[in-house]
Amino acid sequence: MTRGFIPLLALVLAGGMAALSWATDGFRVVTSDGARQLAVERRPLPLPDIRLIDQDGHPFSFADYRGKTLLVDLIYTRCPTICGVLGENFRQVLEHSGANKAGRNFDLLSISFDPAHDDLQALKLYGERYGAVAPRWRIAVPSDRRGLDTLLRSFGAVVIPDGNGGFVHSSDVYLVDSAGRLARIFDADAPWSLSGAAIHEAAR
Amino acid sequence: MTTEAIGTRSTPIGARTAVLAYLAVSGVVLLLMMLFGATMRLAQAQWISLDPTWFYIILTMHGAGMVGIAGLSGAAVMWYFVGRYVPVSTAVFLANLGFFLVGAVLILGSGFIGGFAAAWTFLFPLPAHSGSLWSINAAACYLFGLISIGVGFLLLHLDIVRGILSVYGGLGAGLGFKQGFGLAPEDTGPPPAVAASTMVAIVNIVGIVFGAAILVMSLVNLYVPSFTFNALVAKNMIYLFGHIFINATIYMAVIAVYEILPRYTHRAWKTNWAFYLAWVMSTLMVLTVYPHHLLMDFAMPTWALVAGQIISWLSGLPVLLVTAFGALTNTYRSGLKWDAASGLVFLGVAGWAIGVIPAILDGTIAINSVMHNTQWVPGHFHTYLLLGMIAMMLGFMTWLGGAKSPLGLAPVGFWLYLVGGSIFVLAFLSAGSASVPRRYAVHLQAWLPYDEIGSIGACLAIAGVAILVVRFLAGLRSAAAGGDDSVR
Amino acid sequence: MSEGRLLAAAGFWVVLWLPPVRSALESDMAVHMAVQLPLLIAIGVLAAPPLRRFEPRLLADADWLGIPGLVLAAFATSLWMLPRMLDQALADPLAELGKFLSLPLLGGLPLGLSWRRMPGLGRAFVWANFIPKLGAVGGLYLAAPTRLCAYYGVDQQAEAGWTLITVAAALGLVSFVAVFAGRPRAMFAPHDGPA
Repeated sequence: MTRGFIPLLALVLAGGMAALSWATDGFRVVTSDGARQLAVERRPLPLPDIRLIDQDGHPFSFADYRGKTLLVDLIYTRCPTICGVLGENFRQVLEHSGANKAGRNFDLLSISFDPAHDDLQALKLYGERYGAVAPRWRIAVPSDRRGLDTLLRSFGAVVIPDGNGGFVHSSDVYLVDSAGRLARIFDADAPWSLSGAAIHEAAR
Repeated sequence: MTTEAIGTRSTPIGARTAVLAYLAVSGVVLLLMMLFGATMRLAQAQWISLDPTWFYIILTMHGAGMVGIAGLSGAAVMWYFVGRYVPVSTAVFLANLGFFLVGAVLILGSGFIGGFAAAWTFLFPLPAHSGSLWSINAAACYLFGLISIGVGFLLLHLDIVRGILSVYGGLGAGLGFKQGFGLAPEDTGPPPAVAASTMVAIVNIVGIVFGAAILVMSLVNLYVPSFTFNALVAKNMIYLFGHIFINATIYMAVIAVYEILPRYTHRAWKTNWAFYLAWVMSTLMVLTVYPHHLLMDFAMPTWALVAGQIISWLSGLPVLLVTAFGALTNTYRSGLKWDAASGLVFLGVAGWAIGVIPAILDGTIAINSVMHNTQWVPGHFHTYLLLGMIAMMLGFMTWLGGAKSPLGLAPVGFWLYLVGGSIFVLAFLSAGSASVPRRYAVHLQAWLPYDEIGSIGACLAIAGVAILVVRFLAGLRSAAAGGDDSVR
Repeated sequence: MSEGRLLAAAGFWVVLWLPPVRSALESDMAVHMAVQLPLLIAIGVLAAPPLRRFEPRLLADADWLGIPGLVLAAFATSLWMLPRMLDQALADPLAELGKFLSLPLLGGLPLGLSWRRMPGLGRAFVWANFIPKLGAVGGLYLAAPTRLCAYYGVDQQAEAGWTLITVAAALGLVSFVAVFAGRPRAMFAPHDGPA
């Protein structure tokens, strides 16, 4: 062993572990989704007010939901894959929470990021497929392009064209608390846990 | 004529001490793990009471520990003899022992402190789903223990590869590949110890590479559960690695037969084309036979299972046949003096040969589907490990150090071990053929006679091994001082 | 000659940095991981021999058997294989610059400098560890049930997984054949350190 070997090795190990720890938020996350989930859980993120139009043609904005808990997912109506899971999940969330009184204290919102194709007709059809009725469950698009960009940026959602006219996009479900802050991000899996979390948040 | 077979390099004192250290650690850990094993049999016989939680911890520790010392003591045999033909590094050899001890401490800690009890095969996703019996950290501790042991063995095998390459140029030449296929004259082939070490290096490096991959993936899964993987692929990788590693121990230990018997008979071990071809075939088959561990996984492709069955019928045979035949021709009418060392080494060949029979039965799909979850399976692997591999290792131990021991008693140890070990494995095999399940902590009344006979066998075998190991330890000091062991 | 190598390394770096090249190499996850990242590391390795003269004596001495250098390279390279960092490099120009600087300077350069100090056994050990780790990363990407990178789809992720596994298998096979046949030059070539 040469002189300086141990200090240099220790330095490299410490620096390497520090870098890895920084990149994984203390060895807790390896994906950017995970990092974002952890970040909003620690510090809920105030959302800018965005104006949208729902499937019945009613204009509304995030501010209208103050005092209410909101579950949001991001979709486009031609989506052949994950949006079907998201829609079905929300339908089941409604079903579960219907039996529960506290379950009525939150609303659902599916926002399309594809205003070019998703007109009122398309939104309505999508809503009917899963039994969505406004205002409990709105299917909406942002009123303008800038609103859409702001929305995606503040939710931290990435939407990229898949090359076949569709999109690759995140399947997360976002929980907005009664103060209008992005408070939790869920992987789209069990509707039970989604409705549970929403009821819990609404009852706070 | 004998000198050529015995190797030209002598073993330096430092290297000899290192081998003795390996054997001392192996002997002590072997006894401890045998006691664990006997504890399980005694508990099944209901002669002692043992909490089932502890049964499964002990089961896991016994499995990991025994596989570990089989590898460690096999490595001692291999390294001691291959070092006479090619340059090897004592520092690397000792580093392996260090990594092994670190791994052993981590594994024992994971079990006896952390409660880890997912069996030594750590099948995905069991380590992460303990039902709160052990923590994620305990499972990680176990996996890190295996990684540490794997790192040590990887270094050791790579160093032996380096040595073989420096003398023979390539692993093909080290294995006697050309001689096996008649492309080069038989008498230009490598000595048996080199061919065997080459084979073991090839299979174990491949096995460790797969093992490292699945260990890393399992560790990531423990801490980031969103990273999952296909459980069947995981099982394939684990058994590829696990089968190769445990199988390789016997191919390391068998070097003791090639090197020790000729010293008693004063006849060189005969190597012909069949010998080299056998080692080439066994190299391939040890690498590809593992699907016989998955015969009950109906999701496996049929061709893989059929291949697993056919290869497992053949796998052990080539080297076993040339070794058994070689041992018989080497000893026949040689006028050799039978003592504990030569007896143990010879017994090792017999134990291996007999152990192959129940193994081939279990490797048959039709039989496997009814026998695999019975004690037939521990019966078969205890036969060739306890009475084959361990016999060769004890023979090496007795030959290297035991002769200088102040204690007599070697024949007593030999017979206790042989009789006790035979009773022990026969109890397993007959229980298996009576459909007694394996891995059950609590047994039905009807199964107790097997457990009682097995327990008695286990205790006798432990007494025998204890005598041989204590004799060895008592003679350590004078054995370390050296002395020419080449011909007696 | 040595200046030529440095110039070539710098030239490659600039080419890789060009926006069209960057977007071409990053539009696909498999290409990003199996082409762009290795090329960035290779630039550092390429620059190592001419830069050896400038290596501080103290550092060269402390890099016993090349171990600290290899550990540094392992950290620097594995960091950019994390899904989050792959995303970060696409989302944040600063992170992209960090990747373009750290892979050659903290990954390839120490690798090139330390490799010569490694004895054959050390090199073989590094190699025998690199192959399964590469395969394991591939396996994890292949089998992950969810999308790990925000910028790449599940199919790209699976394709990247297969690519890494294929590369690992090919490297393993080639190494085995070389050692079996007796041409392991790269592995046991002369080195500076003690044997």
